[in-house]
Amino acid sequence: MQNPGEGIRPGGSFAVSCEKVSYSYPGSGRPALSGVSLDLRQGEYVGVVGPNGGGKSTLVRLLNGLLRPGSGRVLVSGRDPATEPFEVRKHLGVLFQNPENGLVAPFVEDDVAFGLENLGVPREEMLGRVARAVRAVGLEGYERRELHTLSGGEKQRVALAGLLAVEPEILVLDEPTSMLDAVGRREVLEYLQALRSEKTVMHVTHHLEELTGADRILVLNGGELVADETPERFFSNADLLRENRLVLPVVPRLALKLGFPPAKLSTPEQLAEAILARTQSGTRTR
Amino acid sequence: MKLELRDVRYVYAPGTPFEVEALKGVSVVVEQGEVLAIVGGTGSGKSTLVQHMNLLLVPTSGEVLVDGVDATTLKKSELRRRVGLVFQFPESALFAPTVEEDVAFAPRQLGLDEEEVRERVLESLRALGAGDLAARSPFGLSGGEKRRAAIAGVLAMRPEVLVLDEPTAGLDPATREDLLNLILSLRESGVSVVLVSHDLDEVAEVADRVCALHEGRVSTVGTAAEVFYGDPALAPATVRVASLLRGSRPGMGNPVRSQETLDALRALQGT
Repeated sequence: MQNPGEGIRPGGSFAVSCEKVSYSYPGSGRPALSGVSLDLRQGEYVGVVGPNGGGKSTLVRLLNGLLRPGSGRVLVSGRDPATEPFEVRKHLGVLFQNPENGLVAPFVEDDVAFGLENLGVPREEMLGRVARAVRAVGLEGYERRELHTLSGGEKQRVALAGLLAVEPEILVLDEPTSMLDAVGRREVLEYLQALRSEKTVMHVTHHLEELTGADRILVLNGGELVADETPERFFSNADLLRENRLVLPVVPRLALKLGFPPAKLSTPEQLAEAILARTQSGTRTR
Repeated sequence: MKLELRDVRYVYAPGTPFEVEALKGVSVVVEQGEVLAIVGGTGSGKSTLVQHMNLLLVPTSGEVLVDGVDATTLKKSELRRRVGLVFQFPESALFAPTVEEDVAFAPRQLGLDEEEVRERVLESLRALGAGDLAARSPFGLSGGEKRRAAIAGVLAMRPEVLVLDEPTAGLDPATREDLLNLILSLRESGVSVVLVSHDLDEVAEVADRVCALHEGRVSTVGTAAEVFYGDPALAPATVRVASLLRGSRPGMGNPVRSQETLDALRALQGT
């Protein structure tokens, strides 16, 4: 980045900032987003959840300039995606739900390079960036593999590498695991975790267990931002979950019903350990 | 209805350089009134398999039998009324100006009178918790609402076997639960349901039996407990918790559904 200070404009100290943003789709009576204000600090990992039709996808499209707000203002790294979409997309990359829809080239390395070619990055630099991105998602040795021979999880990692090669500071993940099987999901989530310290991440998902490690969880319902909570408070707020058509995943739900704090126990291993610890101490005191 | 696939092979683009053998001899039975889940990784042949159930795809070799009768001898329209297939992302096929008309399209082809069609449409929409959507345009609906409208269209045919290919992908958790409850209530009324899913946790809640595919072959088939406790790679969260405890707590049994698992864990804790 030639001018690192350039992103700091009014409201630009946040990676993403939305001020009373509203949007209605043409011909729809009801706004898809109404009066949403939110900020993402640099380096934060923020989850976004809510029912279908709550406004999550609309928010994502406003952030990368696919839609323009009807009123209010969006700033991404200090820039307005409605007027500078191409500039914004260098700073903010979106990983969509279904990797099949976003892959364009026959070979892995060509696909990863696609975004850079569009930005006119010189070839030498491009080779270096592609190699780094492929390494970052654990796909070394796959450079010349044909995409159609890859599994769903591998394809989603190729899509992620394509984003990383552009080197955006902000990653928006729009249900990145919903088309993947259990193994593919774990793969992709692992690589996303590895990016935590370097990137600002907004992670939209229906799989609440993916957010136990988030800094904050935002809830969008009926186009409004109805909650902004830490995972601990979010997972133990039964009313908030019910009102927003959210259901605790299996393990935290079992944990809660057995009297454990649900946010701390998101994996089967953690729950089994807690139960063992409790039954052992129980037998000792008896 | 009992639906049986016997040694089904299917080759895409035979005789071309793109030839792929997607199914390599698959045999599986869907019993009357059961929920059979088809699981397996991406590319294992799940979608190809279920498209044989109403002969949308005709096997390269092997047989599809309906109550013991070769399905290719039945009228296609009759077969497709009795075996309803809901594709992945079925909402992409919505086309009518209102949800009601969209759902009515297929039952109207059956030659039913208008009153009967209307009754079935509303019944199907209500079963999906979507009765209030009847007059809306399908194009103004959210993803979850569209999905329900599309499934209602198949339900309105009152199929004896309902085949759902990844019906919950992208749905919010509450809509997903509603759909799983619908599957259970259809089973109560004697309908067989074939559920293709990569989400083992949801399969655990509804499946009577599970058939796992791997690279075009059945890798394992059996009751949900047999399959989930037999292969750690196929274990949903409930089974993983129980398996971790069974070593030191032999009284755990083989719980699969979350309520069974909760009961077993409570018994273990003595609460």
